[in-house]
Amino acid sequence: MSILRRKNKDACPAEAPGPPPSTPICDTEPRQRVCVCGKVTRMTARPTAGQPALAISVSDDTGTVTAVWTGRRSIGGITLGRRIAINGVPVMHGDHLEFTNPDYTLLPR
Amino acid sequence: MHVIVVGCGRVGSEVALNLASSEHDVIVIDRRAESFRRLGEDFKGATMVGVGFDRDVLTEAGITPNCAVAAVTSGDNSNILIARVARETFGVKHVVARIYDPRRASIYERLGIATVASVTWTSARVLRHLLVSESTPDWVDPSAKFTILERRVSTAAAGMSVADVETATAGRVAVIGRFGEASIPSPSLLLQEDDVLHIVVPADHAAQLDAALHLTEGTPE
Amino acid sequence: MRVIIAGGGSVGRYMAGQLQNSGHDVTLIDNDTSVVTQGRATRTPVGVTWWLGDACEVATLTSVGAAQADVVAAVTGDDEDNLVVSLLCKQEFAVPRVLARVNNPKNEWMFTDMWGVDISVSTPHLLTALVEEAVTVGSFVRLLSLEGGKARLAEVTLAAGSPAIAKELTNLGLPRESTVVAVLRDGHVVVPRGDTVLHQGDEVLVLVTGGVEDDVRRALVG
Repeated sequence: MSILRRKNKDACPAEAPGPPPSTPICDTEPRQRVCVCGKVTRMTARPTAGQPALAISVSDDTGTVTAVWTGRRSIGGITLGRRIAINGVPVMHGDHLEFTNPDYTLLPR
Repeated sequence: MHVIVVGCGRVGSEVALNLASSEHDVIVIDRRAESFRRLGEDFKGATMVGVGFDRDVLTEAGITPNCAVAAVTSGDNSNILIARVARETFGVKHVVARIYDPRRASIYERLGIATVASVTWTSARVLRHLLVSESTPDWVDPSAKFTILERRVSTAAAGMSVADVETATAGRVAVIGRFGEASIPSPSLLLQEDDVLHIVVPADHAAQLDAALHLTEGTPE
Repeated sequence: MRVIIAGGGSVGRYMAGQLQNSGHDVTLIDNDTSVVTQGRATRTPVGVTWWLGDACEVATLTSVGAAQADVVAAVTGDDEDNLVVSLLCKQEFAVPRVLARVNNPKNEWMFTDMWGVDISVSTPHLLTALVEEAVTVGSFVRLLSLEGGKARLAEVTLAAGSPAIAKELTNLGLPRESTVVAVLRDGHVVVPRGDTVLHQGDEVLVLVTGGVEDDVRRALVG
């Protein structure tokens, strides 16, 4: 870790003095960088073409998004019911937004 | 431990020579046979000409989940490919990739791949990532009472809070690196896998730290 | 549509020219100064915007408007570059459609959604398939892989003994996870309908998803 950089204001910070700045899921737009917070409500393995992938659903009171990490089967700390913040640029996937390999922050209960 | 070094440039050859002389089982892969000249006459490891992200080449080089892989070619893109194939196709846990362009580091860190940017680059840093048990400290204070150690958070330690680690080791996490960015963490921050911790601990607490971070379980021989 | 093409070699330039000609807004990125200078000086391909930069860098992709692009095609002569460009486009810019060129068939296995690739095109693979198509009548030839291998476009030229001859398409017994996209007959395209009757010598283009290739083969080849 050689470079110390200021995170931009819209990103979820690595330190958590309070809840990270986030957007309600219902207000999120595809292809705009956004941070959403919620609970992991689903976790599935989604292998395609022989390669593993981890897909989770994150829900807040206003909606649900999915996040997919390609090439991984599990990520430490990401479990059902865990509160988590997701930061990335989602794409419209059917009727909901999907993040590919987003930044994430595990949140305390 | 079996270590696969891909790229026999200045860095790769230094890493390979270092590892071979400390009794690790090393194989160096490079696209060009001429590159192996850097290893010298007395190199005790093996060499192989080939492309480092080719599955057949890696299989022939003896890749297994318990080995370590250093992707240190001169191309960032090659290194990231090698690192992902090693990690995701072959299940290797100890993988490090050298990245010339620090701006790309955050992209790769998000894929869970340890990167060493070339600015503060040394073979020692690569070795530190590969060999937890033999890593040298970031800093030791003149009175030798405290030391700053760098550790990468494993899957098993994800979800612990910074406070948990500090309590277990009587230390302080000075800086945490995550997704290519560094910051000073608050005690309530939860650790995530692949976070890089720079932690101040009393000088003889390295073993305690490794135990607290579940790093002594399943460490390759 | 806004299209970004990474790779200003002959493939990229050809694609850029064709797409711009069809009315799309095309930007062509290359890292070689002389290629870009030449392209700009000669204004070829016509109407295409040239950009000098490394497409594997987020900064470059941001500058060329990847955040608004509808399609990105990574068609450089370097598989590593094509994969990294694809991943960045999916991950950082949520580009809806990412197409990547496979130079070395040995690397084809990586060109899937693991690297953000929606459609991969392997020229050697395609050439082989076309050769096969040219020399074999009555075999099932795979032309193109879509969605990271989840869907395949295949072609069968109906030989004399094919069970599909003289049958209407609805009666072929094709599985649900497949569909006849076109029938090529005597040099023209027949748009397939349920009551289209197949003849010997017809080239049937069929899209197959799931694992039903064998069923499709049985219905068309026997």
